[in-house]
Amino acid sequence: MAFVQNLPFICILLSLFTGPLSSILSGKMTKKLNLVMITAVGIMSAMVLAFTVKSGEAYTYMMGHFPAPWGNEIRVGVLEALLATVFSVIMLLCIVGGSKEREEELESTKQNLYYIMANLLFCSLLALIYTNDIFTAYVFVEINTISACGLIMIRQNGRTIEASMRYMIMSLLGSGLLLLGICFLYDLTGHLLMSNIKEQVQILAATGEYQIPLLVCITLMTVGLAIKSALYPFHTWLPDAYGYSTMSSSAILSSLVSKGYIILLIKIYYRVIGIDVIRASKITNVLFVFGLVGMVMGSVNAIKENNIRRMIAYSSVAQIGYIYMGLGLGSEIGVIASVFHILSHAASKALLFVAASGITRASGKNKDFASLTGAGFRNRLAGIAFTIGSLSMVGFPTFAGFISKFWFAQAAFENANHTKTMLALIVLIISTVLNALYFMKTVIRIYTPAPALAKEKNYQNITVRGQAPKSFAMICFVAMNFMLGMCSDPIMKLIQSGLEMFG
Amino acid sequence: MGIWILLPIILPIVTGMYLLISSFLKHLKSTESELKTADGSLKPVVLLTLIVSVAAAFYASWTGDKSITLFYLMKDIPICFKVDAVAALFVTVVSIVWLLVGFYAFPYMSHEGEEKRYFGFYLVVYGVLMGLNFSGNLVTLYLFYELMTVTSMPMVLHNGSREAIMAALKYLFYSMCGAYMALFGIFVLNKYCDTLAFVAGGSLNTVLAQGNETIILIAVMAMLIGFGVKAGMLPLHAWLPAAHPVAPAPASAVLSSIIVKGGVLAIVRVVYYVVGADVIRGTWVQYAWLILSLLTVFMGSMLAYREPVFKKRLAYSTVSQVSYILFGLAVLTPAGITGALLHVVFHAFIKCTLFLTAGIFIFQCGKSRVDELEGIGKCMPKTLWCYTFAALALIGIPPASGFISKWYLAQGAFDSQIGILGWGGIVVLLLSALLTAGYLLPITMKGFFTEKKTEELEFEKGEPPMAMLMPLMILAFLAMILGVLPSGMIDYAAQIAATIL
Amino acid sequence: MMNLTNLLANYGEAAAMILFGIGFTNLLLQNNLIKKIIGLNIMDTAVYLFLALKGYIAGRQAPIVVDGVQSVEAYINPIPSGLVLTGIVVSVSVSALMLSLTIRLYRRYHTLNFDEITTMIKKEEK
Repeated sequence: MAFVQNLPFICILLSLFTGPLSSILSGKMTKKLNLVMITAVGIMSAMVLAFTVKSGEAYTYMMGHFPAPWGNEIRVGVLEALLATVFSVIMLLCIVGGSKEREEELESTKQNLYYIMANLLFCSLLALIYTNDIFTAYVFVEINTISACGLIMIRQNGRTIEASMRYMIMSLLGSGLLLLGICFLYDLTGHLLMSNIKEQVQILAATGEYQIPLLVCITLMTVGLAIKSALYPFHTWLPDAYGYSTMSSSAILSSLVSKGYIILLIKIYYRVIGIDVIRASKITNVLFVFGLVGMVMGSVNAIKENNIRRMIAYSSVAQIGYIYMGLGLGSEIGVIASVFHILSHAASKALLFVAASGITRASGKNKDFASLTGAGFRNRLAGIAFTIGSLSMVGFPTFAGFISKFWFAQAAFENANHTKTMLALIVLIISTVLNALYFMKTVIRIYTPAPALAKEKNYQNITVRGQAPKSFAMICFVAMNFMLGMCSDPIMKLIQSGLEMFG
Repeated sequence: MGIWILLPIILPIVTGMYLLISSFLKHLKSTESELKTADGSLKPVVLLTLIVSVAAAFYASWTGDKSITLFYLMKDIPICFKVDAVAALFVTVVSIVWLLVGFYAFPYMSHEGEEKRYFGFYLVVYGVLMGLNFSGNLVTLYLFYELMTVTSMPMVLHNGSREAIMAALKYLFYSMCGAYMALFGIFVLNKYCDTLAFVAGGSLNTVLAQGNETIILIAVMAMLIGFGVKAGMLPLHAWLPAAHPVAPAPASAVLSSIIVKGGVLAIVRVVYYVVGADVIRGTWVQYAWLILSLLTVFMGSMLAYREPVFKKRLAYSTVSQVSYILFGLAVLTPAGITGALLHVVFHAFIKCTLFLTAGIFIFQCGKSRVDELEGIGKCMPKTLWCYTFAALALIGIPPASGFISKWYLAQGAFDSQIGILGWGGIVVLLLSALLTAGYLLPITMKGFFTEKKTEELEFEKGEPPMAMLMPLMILAFLAMILGVLPSGMIDYAAQIAATIL
Repeated sequence: MMNLTNLLANYGEAAAMILFGIGFTNLLLQNNLIKKIIGLNIMDTAVYLFLALKGYIAGRQAPIVVDGVQSVEAYINPIPSGLVLTGIVVSVSVSALMLSLTIRLYRRYHTLNFDEITTMIKKEEK
């Protein structure tokens, strides 16, 4: 048992304890502690990734001295380690990028609370990635919900409180369904550890007993997690929550929180129920249809928006639709493409939010499009970063978005059902065109010179050095985007080997 | 020696970016009055870059087959460049036009202002076009196609008026819609072709394609319409007449003569180098393509005939003429392809001449409507003569060049087995030639032969400066001489047609 | 027929499902915030009822050691009780969070009607 194998557990514990520890420290110390912790977790996850890639197999880690099936376990493979590493990097950059906004928008007494919530969120995310026990997963799902709610409402104005209320309501509906599904599953199989549940489910599927309860169980868990990750039509909380909270919250929520639930869903499909049973149950068709609708409707709603943050939020709805479409295609390449899209979307969307906040700063903090005219000249780095993010979303080659779309198209072809293939391809192209409409419109607007407007409203120019943490975050995100776009092959291989050992 | 391919791509882009960034910085720092003073170093820098790039491009295309792979975007899909006969042809045409219009643009843009920005984008688009022409596979082509849209849009948008912005937006959206329709096709072809690299005659895997013909045909149609947006083919041609009047004249000239040919090149590559002509021969795709291109030819000429604004008239003429080229490609016969490729070259020179004259009329006399140009031949005879030569070439009167290409197009239509559409095509070509005469010649007539006395005319200035007149004369000369001595070109084009059919 | 006898035999679980449905619908459709939270609690309690029933094995004792540890067959399944405890903790936390949000909203907008609050906020923006 190499020391490296302990690291995932240490990561979870570290982030868990930094939470309460932050409550007794002052604002500045908390911020430094937070950054140090996330960096440490990132480095440790990278080491775990290297270890799992070298050993070529996943290992289970027993918590305490209670063996399976009575004890709790975490399981670490290539996919988990990869996700943990990437998520730590994104979390770090989001928090760094939004530091100035937090200082301005949050009351000084609440600065601490923000980092507590962020730490707990991070801990729950890591736990969701690594856990091998389904009830632990539920508990951490709840912790995730609560801390995400905290992140939304930490900025106190009417909109955010209403948004967080709406978020809690939808989330709790999803949690309730998930919990009921978990209880059914426990009732059917008698186990809580994922690998043990799978053995029992395989036996049940083979004998054909309890077919309907198993189907009900799968449906409940799927619908519960779909509600929580804002699949259309359960997305109504998303635009308000992302649009009005502070910038780092929006970035973290859009990149990480919804993805955590999707990863749990993939985990349930592979490790709890078994992907063959899932495919036989045809629930993937339902996910496919809702994914398609989300792809189109998300973009349609984004076109109508006048507030840049809400527009980006609706774009998130569309992108989550892509991921569910990939899952719904049912083939292995579909799931690989979805996981790659999780990574690429996290990188691009966070970049967009950071760049959008840079642009709005240069326009007197106004978010409507009329004020944003010419902002690309006032804040050059943010303008360029926003353009790169938009091009990636739209699917320009050499950026991450193109690779995702390419693999989604390839996955569509693998499908034996021709209608599904054609539908997937057609909706893919329609949604790309729609994406281009609103993103390119915004890019042109920010690059239309409007010196008169700037002088009249007294908008400040913002230099690269003037917003140092944000510039750093933007440059790193752009680099990540390029890397995902140009060197996607090694990452796809990692994801593929990770998925093989995931089940 | 693949590096010679990279030089004409990278050098203009780098210089252009440098110009753009320095103009941007200057905007931020200096006051209003400082901005008005021109930068003396601009002209030598731009001209030197252009000359070096053009020389490198010629060297790369005409000294043996070269290729270079930059890097692998994904497994099996590299970003690579390759020199072949079609690439050499397009590169030559683009380079000649770009260099000449570059010379022309200096005095013109001193009127319009913001030269640094204009020339910055001018150079960048040149580099991107070189990349497009030298592309070795479909993904590289797509990348540079998208880049071309994005970087040429600011040239349309140059004078910043509300009209220009709306036109540029239209251009961008139409082009992007087209590019994404083409992307759909790329995904399908990636599955069913052996490789996305350009292989003469196409590389469709017939075993895989068995039973999936419908989706392949839909994909090819989507690519035709998608790339056809750039080439001004119905139904997505509306950006062309909107973008031309608002862009500065040199920009309209290159837009009409070169950038629309980017769409044509993409269609040539898709139909002849990736899918293979036999896949679509006789299918509904070919018929739809033929009908659309014929409709565009006719409709473009009709709309040009009635258009009072000179540049818009020429824009509709472009819509019509480029569809001649597409018709020639659609008949899928050697003569048709020869005619199409010849017309690519001839139309580029001719249309460029026509737009440059329009620019001279605006620059010297401020006249942009056709009815205001009465008697202009008395003030600027040389200019109007160049215009007349180009117009004759476009109409197709021997021995001017347009006649040769139209002859081959008609021959191609005759040879192909498309029956009534072939005859219909020839009829439409003839009709359109008549209409072309109808919308181009009156300007010559009214310009030279007018009843007004010289004193009544309202034109203050005479001939334009030499820097503007020289390129005009060279292009008009080329348009004529290629008609008189066409055999070299015809052989070259026929050779290409033989390899791909 | 077999379905109906099964349903009657498992009347507790059936009641739990009906309660879950009631709670879910309330959480989703009610306009009054307090009623939504009550719905949430009903929903969660229904799950606990379900779990508790699933843990029960007829004729056995609660898993508390009295008179020394007896054999495994003497006790009911202890795990669901643990799950219920965890669930209660979660339910309490989220209820507390939602109640505090409700208080905030009430102090600001003086109404407990969620639709009205949304309308007021939209008006506020303009």
